[in-house]
Amino acid sequence: MIRQPIKSRWILPLGMLSVVVLLTAYTVLSHWQHGRNPDDTTIPTWRQLGDGVTKMWSPNARSGERWIVVDVRATALRLFLGLVCGVFGAIVLGLLMGCFAWIEALLAPPLSLLAKVPPTAALAVFFVLVGTGREMYVAMIAFGVLPTLAQSVYFSVRDVPAEMLFKARTLGASQVELIWNVILRTILPALLDAIRLQIGPAMVYLIAAEMVVGDVGFGYRIRLQSRLLNMNIVYPYLGILAAFGYLMDHALRQVQRLACPWYAEKEG
Amino acid sequence: MPFPIVLECRNISHWFGANRVLHDVNLKVVRGEIVAVVGPSGCGKSTLLRAIVGTHPPCEGRVLMQSAQGGCERPITGPGRDRGIVYQNYSLFPFLTARENVAMGLMLDQTDLPFRLLRFPLWRKMRKIHLEEAEALLGRLKLADAVHRYPHQMSGGMRQRVAIAQTLIMKPEIVLLDEPFGALDEATREELQRMLLTLYLENCGARQRNEPPPYTVLIVTHELNEAIYVGDRVAGLSQYWDWAKEGFHACPGATVVYDRQAPVYLPDQERSYETFLKQRREIRHAAFEPQVLQDRETFVRFWEEVRAGEGRGVLS
Repeated sequence: MIRQPIKSRWILPLGMLSVVVLLTAYTVLSHWQHGRNPDDTTIPTWRQLGDGVTKMWSPNARSGERWIVVDVRATALRLFLGLVCGVFGAIVLGLLMGCFAWIEALLAPPLSLLAKVPPTAALAVFFVLVGTGREMYVAMIAFGVLPTLAQSVYFSVRDVPAEMLFKARTLGASQVELIWNVILRTILPALLDAIRLQIGPAMVYLIAAEMVVGDVGFGYRIRLQSRLLNMNIVYPYLGILAAFGYLMDHALRQVQRLACPWYAEKEG
Repeated sequence: MPFPIVLECRNISHWFGANRVLHDVNLKVVRGEIVAVVGPSGCGKSTLLRAIVGTHPPCEGRVLMQSAQGGCERPITGPGRDRGIVYQNYSLFPFLTARENVAMGLMLDQTDLPFRLLRFPLWRKMRKIHLEEAEALLGRLKLADAVHRYPHQMSGGMRQRVAIAQTLIMKPEIVLLDEPFGALDEATREELQRMLLTLYLENCGARQRNEPPPYTVLIVTHELNEAIYVGDRVAGLSQYWDWAKEGFHACPGATVVYDRQAPVYLPDQERSYETFLKQRREIRHAAFEPQVLQDRETFVRFWEEVRAGEGRGVLS
């Protein structure tokens, strides 16, 4: 029946069942493929995957660095810097647009257009403007998430009920206090949600850029190893990306739960 | 004039393009009164209230305030801490608990942002005092159990009670209530009405001791019973008046067509339905009947009554 609830003790086993089915299917598939071609690397066996992980972890013969360490360092720093710049810029722009009608009139049209340009398509623009160093990745992520994020901040600011602002002014709030003590506090949970939703796109932009021009980082490594059909390296890298995205998501949810206890409960 | 005026609306007119809403509205509110403003829907009650709050200044005319210390009347220039407002919704900040909501005004009024950030230890000490003060007030309004609850965890009646506390803690010259109990069920509504009458009782006590009454209230409502019960004075705003006689070819907007005293009740007193019915009929006749167009002064008799020494409650 539609929307028929199930017993809560069934939820965990069912979730685990699907994972087990996936892993079993993979094992069977890989076994079957290796039956046809013992040297296959496209669907590596568990042993091959283990070799791949060992390779990622062991120091490189030439540089003495471990792949995974240099890649995580490079990619995480780019992503972090890009997100920080993008989120900060978006908050400032969104707040200004939501608060001041003339800034709104000035910036709303270009922003709604820019939000529709795929940053991956605009990659060349960033090469030309800031070269191919770390700045390029940071700029790409920042400008990639900024329009959408600024728009959602702007919409949430606009949705703050006017009565609430009037009320605050009858309590003696100054203009700065309206923004800091009323508007920011009201939009904080929606802002955290919006940031959470932008982590995925930010990773897409970064990996794409790294695939095209990178000499280190996740995108670079995945592209290189897929060319060599070393899927025993590619799959663990994808797994790390998935785990990272999930952890960021979870962490932001926790922040929201702690910083806005009123919101989580209200939304159920 | 023996009765000090808190708020005066002087010749207020308002229009939105060709749509004339208010025409030459005059209203003087005496300190300690509970004035109920009623009128048919669309008569501009809310427009008048917004003009008084200061968020939407009138096209013509002025709103003047006078403080308890006397001094000259000053025209208002926007929302200010001398006028508290309670809306039907959105009066409370959803991200603050009841006591934080009530303490918000003390915080905004007594400190500013640089102070709170730079002198944090001192601010924390003040904050503690603010919260205690807020809790004390909430306790007086029978909300002692709810001090730590967020607005969404409270019933509609509790929320409006907290909203009133949030306003009262600022000790404003006048409290403005915009359809405050419109979304509440009958029992809760009556409970809150009785709470307003308790405040009025304090006013009468202060008046007897020759002190300035602490609470002045202007309540906009569409419920005639509520207006007569809670208010010691009912002002009717209506577009149905004899404008043709004043030389207009079309209705220039709603104006004050009814202004009389209303019976004064103690919080736990039985209402007399006879007086109620009589006044209801009179108000309906003056303000709510589209066919009845009469001189707008016909039922504006409040000051006449006061001058004749017929004042009740704080006006006695």
